[in-house]
Amino acid sequence: MSSKVATLPQQLDFEQIKEIIPQRFPFLMLDRVIELEPGVRAVGLKNLTGNEWFYQGHFPKKAVTPGAMICEAIAQTGIVFFHAMHPDDRDVTYLMGSLKIRFLEPVWPGDQLRIEVTPIKVTSRAGILSATVMVEDRAVAKGEFALSAKENQAL
Amino acid sequence: MRMTNLDQDVKELVADIIEVDAASLDPDANLVEDLGMDSMMALEILASLEKRFKIKLPEDELPKITTVNRAIEVARKYVK
Repeated sequence: MSSKVATLPQQLDFEQIKEIIPQRFPFLMLDRVIELEPGVRAVGLKNLTGNEWFYQGHFPKKAVTPGAMICEAIAQTGIVFFHAMHPDDRDVTYLMGSLKIRFLEPVWPGDQLRIEVTPIKVTSRAGILSATVMVEDRAVAKGEFALSAKENQAL
Repeated sequence: MRMTNLDQDVKELVADIIEVDAASLDPDANLVEDLGMDSMMALEILASLEKRFKIKLPEDELPKITTVNRAIEVARKYVK
């Protein structure tokens, strides 16, 4: 009997990302995945326009990207990273267990986030990952976070 | 029993992750039942042990880390 393991392309477009991560508007914070090497790295892009919903309130007189949304972009890139290692896992939800992050520069409308996630320690169901978020050649956030996969039935 | 540097390092590392005072941490207390460690904290301990002692710990060592003393045993096994 041959075992079929789903294989993922090394780049993902928006529609392919939606097949992997469950988040939708207004919480989908990935437009494209430009590098995907299972167990090694995932690199995602998020283009921020002045039309993003969160700029309405953050802040009404000066739009600044909320750190929480940058964290969400990191988490979603982490989900793509995990999924690439376990492409046959369908009935699981990935939850963030912890996050330690430093925001280095403000992020403005018009910026493109380049989110790179690499493993620090990964097991079959969970992992501690390192994240670096760049805008052009500047690091705007760096941190470490933990993600774990939970069976949907157990939630 | 006198604690070695490795023992003390492991104890402090575990205490830091589970957010308790290292001085009052009973090395035989159950990390989950007595001290509230969750699975992500356990993984953090594993990753921190690897970083601190420059070792590689396989996933099957994870369930063995039930107390500080068990964590010390795991670390000792891999530290050369």
